[in-house]
Amino acid sequence: MARGRVVTSEKIDTVGLSEDQLLDIYYKMKLGRAMGERQRLLQRMGKGSITYSCEGHEGVQVGMAAAMTPGKDWLFPYYRDTAFVLALGMSPRDVLMSFFARGGDINSGGKNMPSHFSSVPLRIVSEGAPVATQVPHAVGAALAAKIRGLDEVAVTTFGDGGSSPGDVHESMNFAGVHKCPVIFLCEFNYFAISVASRKQMAVENVAIRAAGYGFPGVTVDGNDVLAMYRAAKEAVERARAGEGATFIEAKTYRLVPHSSDDDDKRYRTAEALEAATKNEPIARFAETLRKLGALDDSKDEEITARVKSEVDDATEWAETEPNPTPEEALRHVYVEEK
Amino acid sequence: MVSVKEVPGAMGLGKEQLLDLYYKMFLARTVGQRERMLNRMGKGPFAVTGEGHEAAQVGTAYALTPGKDWALPYYRDIGVALTLGMTARDLLLAHLSRAEAIESGGRNMPSHFSHPQLRIVSGSAPVATQLPHAVGVALAAKLRGLDEVAITYVGDGGTSVGDVHEAFNFAGVHKCPVIFVCENNQYAISVKWSEQSAVQDVALRAAGYGFPGVTVDGNDVLAVYSAAREAVDRARRGEGATFIEAKTYRLVPHTSDDDDRRYRTAEEVAEWSKKDPLVRYKAWLEEHGVASAREIEALQTRALEEVDEATHYAESAPPPDPASAVLHVYADE
Repeated sequence: MARGRVVTSEKIDTVGLSEDQLLDIYYKMKLGRAMGERQRLLQRMGKGSITYSCEGHEGVQVGMAAAMTPGKDWLFPYYRDTAFVLALGMSPRDVLMSFFARGGDINSGGKNMPSHFSSVPLRIVSEGAPVATQVPHAVGAALAAKIRGLDEVAVTTFGDGGSSPGDVHESMNFAGVHKCPVIFLCEFNYFAISVASRKQMAVENVAIRAAGYGFPGVTVDGNDVLAMYRAAKEAVERARAGEGATFIEAKTYRLVPHSSDDDDKRYRTAEALEAATKNEPIARFAETLRKLGALDDSKDEEITARVKSEVDDATEWAETEPNPTPEEALRHVYVEEK
Repeated sequence: MVSVKEVPGAMGLGKEQLLDLYYKMFLARTVGQRERMLNRMGKGPFAVTGEGHEAAQVGTAYALTPGKDWALPYYRDIGVALTLGMTARDLLLAHLSRAEAIESGGRNMPSHFSHPQLRIVSGSAPVATQLPHAVGVALAAKLRGLDEVAITYVGDGGTSVGDVHEAFNFAGVHKCPVIFVCENNQYAISVKWSEQSAVQDVALRAAGYGFPGVTVDGNDVLAVYSAAREAVDRARRGEGATFIEAKTYRLVPHTSDDDDRRYRTAEEVAEWSKKDPLVRYKAWLEEHGVASAREIEALQTRALEEVDEATHYAESAPPPDPASAVLHVYADE
């Protein structure tokens, strides 16, 4: 991100971000939102198989990504991280090519499930389908960086439901002992699909578990992108300084069903959803930007139009791209003879 | 430390009970020594014993009601099995894989303690798998409205396994009447605790699951009993789980196949031998006038005789009949 004028305000702490950077964060949040909406729409039109979209989580994802160095740091995401991977530099085309399972898809050549994000140059590593298996992978990548003496950081994400598998415990323990430069980011949206978090854990803030592994755990308002960025930046700096892991619990809310195969009316009320919508991260950040004088109606419309045209372009592109050829089915499965 | 119990008084126990505690501890020590000896004589395949852990094992098990409460021990828990009512004979029959062994008819590895009437549930060989089992048993008791308690044991190394996290989390959410005991002897076989965990006291992890965690001097049998008593009472009242970390030391190698000189110093072992829970408790009994040295010696003699008799019995008991190999493997018609 280019450094421009640093916006200052007596009331709002912009955590050292310039106006350009703030607007870039805003743009990426809107892009993530629009991409989520587009995928759900296409799925309902019968054009895509399944969607796990990110609406509501944009503050968490873009706030974390803004503190990372794309292509240097590693991301081991979970399926909801559409806005995250876009913020690190994947394009809407990359995401939709995977959604349509096209032959030219960089994630897996159309073979993997959508939302199993993967980009070699951006160091985004595909997850396994079983929940939370990406967490130990991230610790391994962080250990490798440490052993090699590099100041790379590994970030991994999972939901509140994902905090329950044993993998998370083993990962946090290992990261604690070996002071691995890793950030565990729990995108806490209060529902493990349909299971309310109070039925998932007996504590209010899962971040307190970090104390049991000897590194800090912080709970942050994930719908406040600047608060999220601050926590992310501190964790990245700590990891780069060789001080080890951080657990960030970002409290947020999923504004849409878990996936295109889920009916969220069966487990949460319209009132709860409405209340959460009032607190959603994009509108909140827009208000902050307006208070800072960084955003007005015409600029907002300009960003919206830019996002729409990129998403339209990507849709058109991906819809018309060819499927993988059947002959391709075993590629990347077995070692190829030279 | 999260909270260390101060050396308490007699915890409301009478002379008979206080001496019973000592007897069980001494019996556990003797059975462990005997198993290692029989192994070195080529008579038993493998010994995994608990010398040094007697206070942690006997002190916790003594707070239970045998036959009502459930115990899901780990392989080192000779003292738990004996305190709940298994005999030296039961254990040595299993050690020598005899047909009569109540644990598995001579089939399972030794130290996979099992006794249906005493509600001691066999562990599986993979480390820490007994913890989720214990939570399941505790949940069943809760659903049935019974005031039964489940207790399960794990070493410090075992706490690193994912099963422990899943078991703790589930027990926390469902307020299961379960007690998790970590016999923290500071070595996961050869891996030091400091290389296993970045925290000094593993008990503090309980806070992350919404139930209390206490760290107790695991070589002080009355302190251990006190912590276990409180945890059992809490579980029976329907208040849920407790995690007890008993800090102790293994005075012998991990198993008969381990050479502990490769990972710890003779000085360290000597230092911990001074804190031997049997020596400490014997001194306490004498200082408080509970028993004379002579009375204690008589208990020791009785335990030695019991183990001699058990050895003799188990050695002359027949091995399982090869024709019975698949018994208990498939359902009988």
